[in-house]
Amino acid sequence: MSNYTNSPCAACKFLRRKCTSDCVFAPYFPPEEPTKFANVHRIFGASNVSKILQEVAPHQREDAVNSLAYEAEARLKDPVYGCVGAISVLQRQVLRLQRELEETNADLMRYASCLGGETTSAYGGRRG
Amino acid sequence: MSHVKHIHKGSLERFLDLLLIALFVLMTLKGGTSGACAACKYQRRRCAADCPLAPYFPAEQPKLFQNVHRLFGVRSIVKILERLDETQKPEAMKSIIFQSYVRDRSPVHGCLGVTQQLQYMIWLAEEELKAVNSQLQLYRSQQHQHNGPTQTPHDHHNQMIHDLGLDNKHQEDVTSQLDLGMGLNLNNNQSNVVAPFFSPLPVSETQQPQMSYTYSCSEVNNNVYSPPAYNTDSGKEILTNNNNAWGVQNRYDMYNDNNGGGGFSNQNENVHEMKSNNGVVGIQSQLVNLQMASNHRQQEEEDAHEYDEIHQFLQIIDDRQSFADSKEAYASSSGETLKEHNIDEIGENELRSAATCFSLTSVN
Repeated sequence: MSNYTNSPCAACKFLRRKCTSDCVFAPYFPPEEPTKFANVHRIFGASNVSKILQEVAPHQREDAVNSLAYEAEARLKDPVYGCVGAISVLQRQVLRLQRELEETNADLMRYASCLGGETTSAYGGRRG
Repeated sequence: MSHVKHIHKGSLERFLDLLLIALFVLMTLKGGTSGACAACKYQRRRCAADCPLAPYFPAEQPKLFQNVHRLFGVRSIVKILERLDETQKPEAMKSIIFQSYVRDRSPVHGCLGVTQQLQYMIWLAEEELKAVNSQLQLYRSQQHQHNGPTQTPHDHHNQMIHDLGLDNKHQEDVTSQLDLGMGLNLNNNQSNVVAPFFSPLPVSETQQPQMSYTYSCSEVNNNVYSPPAYNTDSGKEILTNNNNAWGVQNRYDMYNDNNGGGGFSNQNENVHEMKSNNGVVGIQSQLVNLQMASNHRQQEEEDAHEYDEIHQFLQIIDDRQSFADSKEAYASSSGETLKEHNIDEIGENELRSAATCFSLTSVN
């Protein structure tokens, strides 16, 4: 909150405007992290970010800003796929693991049925 | 003379008619009132033949453009597209449309939430794989032992129960490991002891399928993966906590049994449209259900008799023997396993989502 008096937030600095006490960006874009706002502004635009923040509950705004910053950085690094590229890679990894799990479970079933059969017969013998 | 005038007048009328038709066709083709793309329609401007956004935003899907416009803005999209090759443009637009759609669905976390959930799923699958592999090892060693000549069947049975940790003390924990096939420790003192096996109790008729699993979020916290969203011990806390991605995403809860109210309840409306989110968040719903089931199950198991439990355990093995080759047998004997209902379901959804991820066409 000292940002308001000492120095303008990264957003107001970037936009060259006066940082007022009710600046919606100030709590989430400290002057020490100028690239965070620059990235977000470049991809989404300050106006859109402001609109999104105002639509979100105050306690969720930090998360929203961080996710926007992540998405903006990803888009700058990879203009074609952005963060969707990472999602795609992760989805493929999940699928691969699930296939592997299925195969391993099938092996397990074979062993379990062998052992299970023997154990049940032993148990049945005891009861009888 | 009047005859000539009449002919002249007739051709003029025909010419005017043709002109009108040509204008109408031109407006339709080039984006007049009815043929404008969703982007131009939204911005109330003329859709030129070379409109860069027209191929990606058909007029009949205005929501697609609204999402993108709300997050990126037209200028940003055009700037992004300008820097790309012609071949890359469609891919870029698809990813932009997808990203905007996710942001519309989840205004706080957007794609980051999806990424985190996928990472959690990967961790979960790896843990399960570890557990299944260790159980496989156990079975292999059991079979090896069984091939030895000295052991009687009865001894073998006792040995197996002992080896699997299926005694009174740990039965509950063992169950929780077994049903999920999770590679979680039995408890904190017994690190490295992983003993997944099958549920000793049958699923009662009143019990919901997902209630047949015991799973504690606190166990997750004892393990390697500890995302910030999982530092609560209670499933209820996860469900109602809007501060973390999982709490928000639980509004997608496909079972709707413990769904808390909240600002995101509208996300349930189109849950089937968004396959990837649906799949991803499914695990979260299950996590909560499992946590709640854990409490329910603990009470049940306290009341259950020891002998009955072992008997049912053997019944399970018997059932499994008779359906050795079918996965359904696995489910019928031990309730519906997480694998059957969670991981597989997610797998299916993920498969679809992988396909729909880049072919999102109807989001109205």
